[in-house]
Amino acid sequence: MAEQEQSDVHFQRLMSDDGSSCGLMAGSADYLQTESSEQLLRCQTEHEPGGHSQPLGGDRERRGEWVSGEYLPARDWDPNLPLRALPVPMQEKRNTRERRQQQRRSFGCWESWRRSQQIVRRRLGEQVARALWGLQPWRSTLHAIEGKFGVGVKVYFTFLRYLVYINLVHCVFVGGLALMPTLLFGGNTTQGFGHFRGNDSVLDFLLGTGFLERSPVFYGFYAPVPQSSPCLNSPLLFLLGVLSLLVLSCVMVVRRTVIGYKHKWMLGNRYNLHMSYRVFCGWDFCIQDPDSAALKHSFIRNDLRLDLEEERFHLRVSQRTFQQWALLYFLRCNLNFIVLILLAGSFYLVYYASKCSQEEQAHKSPDWMLSLLLQYLPPITITAVNFVLPHLFRRISSFEDYSLTVQVNVTLVRSIFLKLACLGIFLFFLYGQVKHKCWETQFGKEMYKLVMFDFLACGLNALLVAWPRKVLLEKYPSCPLVRVSGKQQFLVPFNVLDLVYNQTVTWVGVFYCPLLPFISVLKLLLVFYIKKFVLFRCCEPAQRMFRGSQSSVLFHFMLLLGLLMAVVALSVNLRMAPSAGCGPFQGRDSVFNVTAVCVDTLPRPGPSIIRYLRSEAFALPLILAEIILLTSYVSQGRANRRAIESLKDMLVMCSADKRFLVKKHSTLLRRHARALKTSVSAGTETDGRPIAMKDPSGFQPVVMRSVSEPCGTACQRLSDR
Amino acid sequence: MGTTASQLPKDLLSEYQELTFLTKQEILLAHKRFTELLAKEDRSSTSQRVPMEKVLTMPELKSNPFRKRICHVFSTSEAKDGSLTFEDFLDLLSAFSDSATLEIKSHYAFRIFDFDDDGTLDCGDLEKLVNCLTGETDDTRLTPEEMRQLISNILEESDIDKDGTVNLSEFQHVISRSPDFVSSFKIVL
Repeated sequence: MAEQEQSDVHFQRLMSDDGSSCGLMAGSADYLQTESSEQLLRCQTEHEPGGHSQPLGGDRERRGEWVSGEYLPARDWDPNLPLRALPVPMQEKRNTRERRQQQRRSFGCWESWRRSQQIVRRRLGEQVARALWGLQPWRSTLHAIEGKFGVGVKVYFTFLRYLVYINLVHCVFVGGLALMPTLLFGGNTTQGFGHFRGNDSVLDFLLGTGFLERSPVFYGFYAPVPQSSPCLNSPLLFLLGVLSLLVLSCVMVVRRTVIGYKHKWMLGNRYNLHMSYRVFCGWDFCIQDPDSAALKHSFIRNDLRLDLEEERFHLRVSQRTFQQWALLYFLRCNLNFIVLILLAGSFYLVYYASKCSQEEQAHKSPDWMLSLLLQYLPPITITAVNFVLPHLFRRISSFEDYSLTVQVNVTLVRSIFLKLACLGIFLFFLYGQVKHKCWETQFGKEMYKLVMFDFLACGLNALLVAWPRKVLLEKYPSCPLVRVSGKQQFLVPFNVLDLVYNQTVTWVGVFYCPLLPFISVLKLLLVFYIKKFVLFRCCEPAQRMFRGSQSSVLFHFMLLLGLLMAVVALSVNLRMAPSAGCGPFQGRDSVFNVTAVCVDTLPRPGPSIIRYLRSEAFALPLILAEIILLTSYVSQGRANRRAIESLKDMLVMCSADKRFLVKKHSTLLRRHARALKTSVSAGTETDGRPIAMKDPSGFQPVVMRSVSEPCGTACQRLSDR
Repeated sequence: MGTTASQLPKDLLSEYQELTFLTKQEILLAHKRFTELLAKEDRSSTSQRVPMEKVLTMPELKSNPFRKRICHVFSTSEAKDGSLTFEDFLDLLSAFSDSATLEIKSHYAFRIFDFDDDGTLDCGDLEKLVNCLTGETDDTRLTPEEMRQLISNILEESDIDKDGTVNLSEFQHVISRSPDFVSSFKIVL
């Protein structure tokens, strides 16, 4: 019988003296043990006749207790667990349903009504969740990507979709709080919108001048609505819209980051599980394509080898001599110095380009082509720098003798620093240029140009670089130039960096170019299809990709950095006096003047309450309360950690106890067998065996259950021992 | 589509919807795909078994290194030949569907990886598992030295009670910390 054999193996394992030594388990158990396990099994089957009728009883496996041959009564699952969530075959689910219905009949009227209500509510929730899930766009595309390129690349596309959602929410805020009031009640301020004038051209679309400058795209359009109450006017709504949008996106991104971080923290040094992961969660069951499967095999193999290599690398690191350390640090210092020079050079380039562009805007040159080029110089420089340097950083980090994961992270950190710092320098330069009569619109235009050029670069990169490379590779596979460039791969981190950069620009610019989220949505939709084209037509699946989860933490963290930068830039901006001639805040000394005016008109206790909320007298108790809350959480976390440690110890103890009992059991059996043998040789009846076995079988339930019931009777025996 | 819908009675369809994580469309599609695997004369009866070899020709399973294990785990056949009835097939798709819980997915994953069906992952199971992951041929396998290092690493990480094997709760402990698992343990028709 197959099942008998299986349980034999199991008993050998349980009975081997030292469970952790593989050699013993592999089947080299001595004759006596094998025999005794057979006897144990036989006595059980006699004890419970007809116990084999259920080959795949889910209940037995559930807690890892394999009671060989024993037919347990069907386990009572948690009655609130939906039937579909039981890991048992369909027929068993039907039986469970029958049992539940019988149980329900035995309950009172109220109880059965409550349970059925619970089920109805749960089903409703599931339906809604499923309907919402069905509304998500691009599901089939994502599925195809997952099937061909694995989860890693899919993370990029889901991240892109997430950004689309964020921007859509922003659109709602901007549309409802800034655009609608101005359009509905704006009166004669909105006159210029919608009419082309003689000197408008397509170029205006790229530069944000002319037609676009008069449209709601830019800050200048949102003139304050006349005759409005001090607490419900368009400037206040405008400010409210932008601020709530930033707060909301902060909450959304922090939530995402924290979810991911929680996982990452658990993966951290305390519970280092990454080898087990690679093995237990290694295979991507979505893969259908045989080529992808072969690739996945080699990817997993390389990954495992790299991990083992990395382990040996750490061993090597701990054995490095002082001289080697010194040499290495010297090398790293030099390489970091080179990185710094590269960064400084690129910052200067950006600064210089901004200066050229500003000069050009002051005195327009007659040649439109040159003018366009000069006006677009800062975005071009920023994009070019960000296109070239990350690849250089990747090369540089490979010389620094870090472990591979550190290499990827170092490259990413340098690239994100470059990206955000370039933007920062550009913004800083723009602040120095506040002379224009409507500098806010001017600022918005620059942000608009950054977004537009980023999009153009993405499209041109696909059309003029990725596609021709692929065609060349297909037509002339032997050409040396082609061979040097090699096959193209979809580098997820760098592509994500582009998205983060774009989102940061959107956040910085949303105050001055309120329709930027809307433009971003359109842009992201197009980028999705461009990237999909690049991925499917031009890219090979990568030989080595990184883990989806960890990288998505990193991505959201970068997004958070971008948001932080946007908030800093905006708060610096808001402190400056708004320009006198345009925008919702014209004629005020500062943007926050609007709120102050509103607060002053509130009824009696209102202003003083708000003044109190803003004062230090309120801040101090607030900080104190936060400190107390944080301290309690930290101590709770520590207590939990200690509890985990002691529970782990308890588990180890229980399993030791289990092994001890099994050993004792087997020695007992052995003694019986020996006694039997002597009696057989003496010529007595052999039928005595089942009777002799009755005693040890009484032992058995305790033995088998000790895993799942830590510190039952088994534990007590251990302490007695 | 219309003909397959008529083959599956309405009450059975709604029962399947209740007992699995699949939607109506998914069940109908599964039924269509399943009847394609059956021989023409067998299509009328519902409890007909499809032999494992036939099931393995499906493109969704063809390149999966665990395909035989999957069939064995989900098969309710007495002969343990891995053949599937339509209901077994639905159980399979339900466990691998998008909306199945982590609990059920990890449970079945454990049973798929437990090659000798003894309820724990021991060294032999882990070795077979790693071989499935890296490819079965001699040149794709890890060397014995690497294998030993890897298995001792895995046991050190996930064998919490130190009995030399990974049991279901230890396995679920590892799995519950991997957000990737739910998205990758998935087979959609």
